[in-house]
Amino acid sequence: MPLFEGLGSGGEKTAVVIDLGAAYTKCGFAGETGPRFIIPSEIKRSGSPEAVRVVQYNINTEELYSILKEFVHLLYFRHLLVNPRDRRVVIVESILCPSHFRETLSRVFFKHFEVPSVLFAPSHLMSVMTLGIQSALVMDCGYTETLVLPIYEGIPILSAWEALPMGGKAIHRELHSLLSEQCTLDTDSGTGLSLPTVISSVPEDVVEDIKVRTCFVSDLQRGMKIQEARFNLDGSAERPAPPPDVEYPLDGQKILHVKGSIRDSVAEMLFEQDNEEKSIATLLLDTLVKCPIDTRKVLSENLVIIGGTSMLPGFLHRLLSEIRSLVEKPKYRDALATKSFRIHSPPAKPNCTAWLGGAIFGALQDILGSRSVSRDYYNQTGRIPDWCCLSTPLPDSVYEAGKNQPPLMKRAFSTEK
Amino acid sequence: MATLLQPEKVVYLVRGEKKARVPLSQLYFCRYCSELRSLECVSHEVDSHFCPSCLENMPSAEAKLKKNRCANCFDCPCCMHTLSTRATNIPAPLPDDPTKTTMKKAYYLACGFCRWTSRDVGMADKSVASGGWQEPENPCTQRINKLIEYYQQLAQREKLERDRKKLARRRPFMPQAFSQHTIHVVEKYGLGTRLQRQRSGAPISALYGLSLKEGEDQKEITIESAQALDEVEPLPEDYYTRPVNLPEVTTLRQRLLQPDFQPAGASQLHPRHKHLLMKRSLRCRKCEHNLSKPEFNPTSIKFKIQLVAVSYIPEVRIMSIPNLRHLKESQVLLTLTNPVENITHVSLYTCEEGDPDDINSTAKVLVPSKELVLAGKDAAAEYDELAEPQGFQDDPDVVAFRKSNKIGFFIKVIPQREEGDVTVAFKLRHDFRNLAAPIRPTEEGEATSEAIWLTHHVELSLGPLAT
Repeated sequence: MPLFEGLGSGGEKTAVVIDLGAAYTKCGFAGETGPRFIIPSEIKRSGSPEAVRVVQYNINTEELYSILKEFVHLLYFRHLLVNPRDRRVVIVESILCPSHFRETLSRVFFKHFEVPSVLFAPSHLMSVMTLGIQSALVMDCGYTETLVLPIYEGIPILSAWEALPMGGKAIHRELHSLLSEQCTLDTDSGTGLSLPTVISSVPEDVVEDIKVRTCFVSDLQRGMKIQEARFNLDGSAERPAPPPDVEYPLDGQKILHVKGSIRDSVAEMLFEQDNEEKSIATLLLDTLVKCPIDTRKVLSENLVIIGGTSMLPGFLHRLLSEIRSLVEKPKYRDALATKSFRIHSPPAKPNCTAWLGGAIFGALQDILGSRSVSRDYYNQTGRIPDWCCLSTPLPDSVYEAGKNQPPLMKRAFSTEK
Repeated sequence: MATLLQPEKVVYLVRGEKKARVPLSQLYFCRYCSELRSLECVSHEVDSHFCPSCLENMPSAEAKLKKNRCANCFDCPCCMHTLSTRATNIPAPLPDDPTKTTMKKAYYLACGFCRWTSRDVGMADKSVASGGWQEPENPCTQRINKLIEYYQQLAQREKLERDRKKLARRRPFMPQAFSQHTIHVVEKYGLGTRLQRQRSGAPISALYGLSLKEGEDQKEITIESAQALDEVEPLPEDYYTRPVNLPEVTTLRQRLLQPDFQPAGASQLHPRHKHLLMKRSLRCRKCEHNLSKPEFNPTSIKFKIQLVAVSYIPEVRIMSIPNLRHLKESQVLLTLTNPVENITHVSLYTCEEGDPDDINSTAKVLVPSKELVLAGKDAAAEYDELAEPQGFQDDPDVVAFRKSNKIGFFIKVIPQREEGDVTVAFKLRHDFRNLAAPIRPTEEGEATSEAIWLTHHVELSLGPLAT
């Protein structure tokens, strides 16, 4: 943190930067090198024993409002320890976030917490800011989905987005079903018991922990062999030797034997091509095909991978090899002339890269105000501008209220005074 | 019987943005607006910071500098318990005479719960008890600061352009050189297109039109753009065959406690300073007066300002419920407590037909029609054994008993539904003397302030019908 920050001399206070993800929320202050806290996006209520997820798109507005209010209250008063009224807010979010969620979130911030302004920053664009370059092909492997969005010269090429619902959630589901089918449990009463007989289902945070600590992504050759062995019904393909089993202790009394074959095969689902021949790697190539021809070379040589799921050991290496092998396939060989792929390493861990970009942007106090939605604007119009909605009135900073609107067409010879 | 004392049985209606039904013990009373306030309709503010283990107050400037972390206390990176400093004696050579050795104290951190010590991660023992341990610094700090400086320069440029454009448009009478035509041309072929920047809702374009190639005279901060790598390191060969030592691998929760490093191995888990807690003060949104302000000292639980509802509004509590039967009248015994020191007059009214607040009641209720008088709260009364009779004439049908500032009274309940819980609602009207209001200077003889009448909507849940 620069030295003058602590003295509080001049300028406004540092903005609050929040990256509200489906699984984890990263929160902190602008201008810092990392988030202060990474906490799960859920709240505990006295009613239900299970925690309630914050980022839900299908619940009604009132319920979502109260959940978000409680969550943001926790963020401010337990983790950030600042007054909401003093500081601007930068929210890093996915471009595909539903408008209803965005509106409810901004209502919580403006009406209940009375923040001075809110800026919704797209996560892909923010991660490019951490590198000092202008164009990149950004892939966000998160919890609910993997979303690819190219950024060219600082502008997202919105028409070329690609997404797959392959993310942490899908991996957890697959891992849970594999554990229930194949793994045995040791308890006081006996050894070698099958999982469903002892506990009905393994809680998701335990499955997540098993994934983080024991699973990994094999390299291309090994991964291909594992996939062949799985889909090969007559058993002619040999599966490569599985890694050793792991004895995982569950709540102090039970030991779960995680089979070695699960450890390397669960991540293969990200790279398996489904019926439509889509996998995470094809997303990148499909995006490139959709982009304008002259942008492709720049984009393919500037790949940026962010998101928590990409932190699995071996993920990046495998992804790069997959892309390089897929680009030789007939589907892409003629469509894409560029064959060179390069990957960036941002100055933060992949799950915090988007947050860091938001923090860098939030530190630019000169323009943060003009680019944010201020509380006055929100109180006047009652809604926030959205990229998918063309009927939003312009913010007041662009033209003074009371004067005529500026002409919409810029003509060389203007007949107006 | 203790279930009758549960706070959720008797709720008061709070008229905020959203109508909420909250027990009186969880409400605040703004005596300037003369209204009840719940936690939802007040604004919360951070009052003071303190460390939860050493209970030391930290001024907010220092808290900001230390990133809201205590300077002396540490958290165990494995189990998040507070670390304690332990001392051992190690032989060390004397500074004057290298041949002789003397015992010196060496300090290390240890967790009393999971037995983790600072020696496990390779941190050397320190010779001072506190202040010796440093948290490791993020290696990317330099690069990030350079990026921020570079972007700040671009942002300054954008701000100048914006201000210049604002200024240019404001002047209606311009010299010939700057005709409308010229301005349009400049705008059209100038720095980037303005169409993107006008709509702040559009996905924001990151400062792209302002490259440093346009020769400005100030010293420019250049930055080398990040280099993309051709190859990524693969997993080591023995990764596939190496057995996993589970205690050596960090859990996700342990990793996320250190967002800058997120180490995968337990031997890289460094302890962090303990995060502070804060004391909160509450403020009424309408009149901006403080409703609750805690003491500055972390060890004190008192409040400087404490405008809680139980000290201003008479509280209704359920004392006993008889068997409730469908469409049969039964008497429920309630108590009413007077929290203030002067005599309070309380009258109860049933809710009228079509009252918009009355949505939950499932039974008809008949409340006493006469006004109830409550004696003031006398702090010394509990020590006075021979309490003099208070001289109130009570109707025995209405008032069951009277004890200093509390009375017990009956209401008649007729459940209207055959099943489900019985809920009744009524209005409570009492007089409130606002001691906080300034005494008007014109009326000098008035010792007591004016009484205003406040009405509250109270709901009681009396439980299920008797089978």
